[in-house]
Amino acid sequence: MTTTTTDFAIPNPRKARVPEGFAQSATWLVTVVFVIGPLLPLLYASFRDRPLYEHGGVFTIAPYRTLFSDPAFWRAVENTLAFASLTTAIAVVGGASIAILCARTDLPGRRVLGWLTLAPIALPPLGVLLGWIVIWGPGGYLATMVSLHLHMSAIDLTSIPGMAIIGGTGSLPIVFLICQASLARTDASLEDAARSAGARPYRVLLGITVPMLRPAALNAGMLVFTLAAETLGIPLLLGRSHNTNFVSSYLYSTWTDASSPDPGSVSAGAIVLLVFASALLILRNRLLGSESRFVAVSARTGAHHPLRLGRVRHVFAFGIVLYLVLTTLLPLLGLAVMSGVAILTPLRAPWHFLTADNYQALRYSVFRHSITNSVTIALIGGALTTALISLATLVAHRSRFRLRRSLQFAVLYPRAIPGIVLGMGFFWAYLLFDPPGHFLLSSFWGILLAFSVHCFTLAYLVLYPAMGRISGSLDQAARAAGAGWWRTSTRIVLALMWPAIFAAFLLVFVAILNDYEPALFLVKPGNEVIGVTMLQLFEQGTIGPVSALAMVQLAATIVIALAAARLLRANLRRGNA
Amino acid sequence: MPEIRVDRLTKSFSNLRVLNEVTFNVNEGEFFTLLGPSGCGKSTTLMSIAGFLEPEGGAIVCGDQTFVDRERGISLPAEARNLGIVFQSYAVWPHMTVFQNVAFPLRVRRLKRAELRERVTSALELVEMGDYGHRYPHELSGGQQQRVALARSLVYSPSVLLLDEPFSNLDAKLRERARRWLKDLQLELALTTIFVTHDQDEALAMSDRVLVMREGNVLQIDTPENVYRRPADRFVAEFVGQCNFLEGTIERSDASSALVMLRGAPNVLEIQTGGLAIGSAVTIAVRPESIAVVPDGRESELPNTYTARVRAGSFLGDHYQYELLAEMGEISMASSTPITTETVHIQIPPAACSIVERAGSNTTSPEVVPV
Repeated sequence: MTTTTTDFAIPNPRKARVPEGFAQSATWLVTVVFVIGPLLPLLYASFRDRPLYEHGGVFTIAPYRTLFSDPAFWRAVENTLAFASLTTAIAVVGGASIAILCARTDLPGRRVLGWLTLAPIALPPLGVLLGWIVIWGPGGYLATMVSLHLHMSAIDLTSIPGMAIIGGTGSLPIVFLICQASLARTDASLEDAARSAGARPYRVLLGITVPMLRPAALNAGMLVFTLAAETLGIPLLLGRSHNTNFVSSYLYSTWTDASSPDPGSVSAGAIVLLVFASALLILRNRLLGSESRFVAVSARTGAHHPLRLGRVRHVFAFGIVLYLVLTTLLPLLGLAVMSGVAILTPLRAPWHFLTADNYQALRYSVFRHSITNSVTIALIGGALTTALISLATLVAHRSRFRLRRSLQFAVLYPRAIPGIVLGMGFFWAYLLFDPPGHFLLSSFWGILLAFSVHCFTLAYLVLYPAMGRISGSLDQAARAAGAGWWRTSTRIVLALMWPAIFAAFLLVFVAILNDYEPALFLVKPGNEVIGVTMLQLFEQGTIGPVSALAMVQLAATIVIALAAARLLRANLRRGNA
Repeated sequence: MPEIRVDRLTKSFSNLRVLNEVTFNVNEGEFFTLLGPSGCGKSTTLMSIAGFLEPEGGAIVCGDQTFVDRERGISLPAEARNLGIVFQSYAVWPHMTVFQNVAFPLRVRRLKRAELRERVTSALELVEMGDYGHRYPHELSGGQQQRVALARSLVYSPSVLLLDEPFSNLDAKLRERARRWLKDLQLELALTTIFVTHDQDEALAMSDRVLVMREGNVLQIDTPENVYRRPADRFVAEFVGQCNFLEGTIERSDASSALVMLRGAPNVLEIQTGGLAIGSAVTIAVRPESIAVVPDGRESELPNTYTARVRAGSFLGDHYQYELLAEMGEISMASSTPITTETVHIQIPPAACSIVERAGSNTTSPEVVPV
């Protein structure tokens, strides 16, 4: 180019080592096969007159007829709807109120309270549930204490309202997160305008803030309702004493407990649950699309003057603290104490029963196997999921691949698939396609696959915004310089977002470590995972060691989630640099 | 450095036509500027040449290499076009050092280590960044990042250099310097360059030729002088600098000149454009600085003199700006000396008048000058 170097000719760019079309089609195919793969066999199984593992069989709608004529199914539907509605009501009212108080008023300590309200979103749901049962459940520490000293019964966790309290407080952080984001986006000067017009603080909150928050609350409510309708752990651990089933636990018990299991009608039930959850997801996306149209989005205002609540603000703050203590701190504390004592009873102080036996018990083979399996699955599954979804996100957003839009849907869809449905689908898929089905069914790889697919959405939700922050001209510059799609993607785009990729890996790792629902149909002696072992042994009354295991899981989750948050912040700085 | 031919390029975004049969040629070694307001299609044109947008119709040929030809179904991927491009944001990769940034195109081309080092070093020296090879982009100023981006786009001897508003992120002083420096470099290397800008000063100062665009249409392609002095279109006259528009009808016309009766004016205006239909309505553009003050008593000696009342005036440092009210309407005028009287005689030189509108035609039917 310059006078000194015109004597050499510059060679042409070398051919791409990985052809663009091949890499993109392969990514698309693998992703879509993993998502659709388990669902088609499930659909097929629901229309056969005998289980897929028996030879023969013809098309029939009998499984659906059996399912719909079973009164227990309808009772389960009723229970599920009642539970999901109550859960949603608790979560939306609570989450939206705390979000408004923290974002718009002079609540004392609002930053810390907001953070503490959000934090439980990262905790393993099964561990928290066990904590609840230990403290507030039948025979639980505080439940017994209340009835002993106050001569009245505490909440009955085995009733549907009782279960909804666990479900509602568990999903409250989701609502809080969505409402908080919406409040941060909307222009606070709309409220300032109302104050200038003479409205008093409560008038402003009720007249402006709350109505403006309605779209976000609706969105959050639908998400919570969908998640609540698929809940499995709560009815499994709390509903059985009164024979209260939800659809998910009905399916699980019909499959495992019945004297003559009918896989066909269970598959039909799974399809019904899947269709219900998918319909809610699609409806929610529709509403979400229209939400952006009527939310006033503008440049964020710099300084916002919080609404003055007067002296009541201390009452509100105390209320939030009390809520956090009762629903998060006490259950976690209960779990911690439970893991360190031989018996937990209000009749005698816990330190009389201090022991390390529960932790020592984790050396027994069933626990040891579960831990090794879970950690191995989480490591390999986390790495594979992160790699695949990184590529899928690239194809969906940084390529001209023709089917790229469908890929975005394919990675978002697993969120709508109830874990138990996904597990059942994989079970049928492994039965139908052998090899490698048999191998997958008898090793932890089968569970690994199901857990990984369950986490596609999570990985995408972490990776997509990070990729969005990388300016398109950075990869165009590489293309212009002669690099192909693959080289540009790996050397520029992925290289720039490695903190986010690592954060995605950590979050998927934790999610897989805490996941159990898809594995319920896939575990066999030898390939146990932590969650399923905890659930099964807790049900059988092995409470101490299970609490110890839950504490280990909890500690790992907190440490890793904090590391991931730190990485994401680092990525944000890189992106803004 | 080959020439570039862009032929009848069309492109729409969801039913909105953003390029309408855009056609032009860029000669070897030429500095060619696409000028227009935002949304006129200039960046779309550049990105189509670079290969980041797929036009719906038309062809782009560079030397003997066809980049795009929709009729023959040819579309070369961006990485096979061997073009250098500097983006508005510079797009310097933040995770690589300056040296690694500039070396990347050569690594893609598998150059030997020693040759790569030599070329990267000489490219960095060319842009006066020789001492910055080990730095990361965030340690550089905007102007320095721009030089790195330029070195990166030149190091592999691209056939053509594309510049997408490269100065818009620099402050005014730095912009001036960068402009001159880039122009010198372009001349030294005899680079065929296509430059996109919405800044008319930049376009006039740097270009060999300027293409003015609006709403996907080419309005004029000419040298900076002609675009300024002989605008082909009312929009061009307005967009490039300030302009007065006078309306009238043709009284007489021969092959090389004409007389125009301006609406409201007592006497005719002589212009140096010929071959016009008598009686047809025209709009004439006159730049404020080409209007001259005529000393009292001499107004009858010169053609095209008018009397005007001074309505407002302001001092702008290097000149005075006046708003006048003449018989044919409001006129703005730039003068190097102050006007002290209330009324003034002004002259509109015949050579300073260009016709920008004719009856029966409107602003959007441009005269495309083939080159």
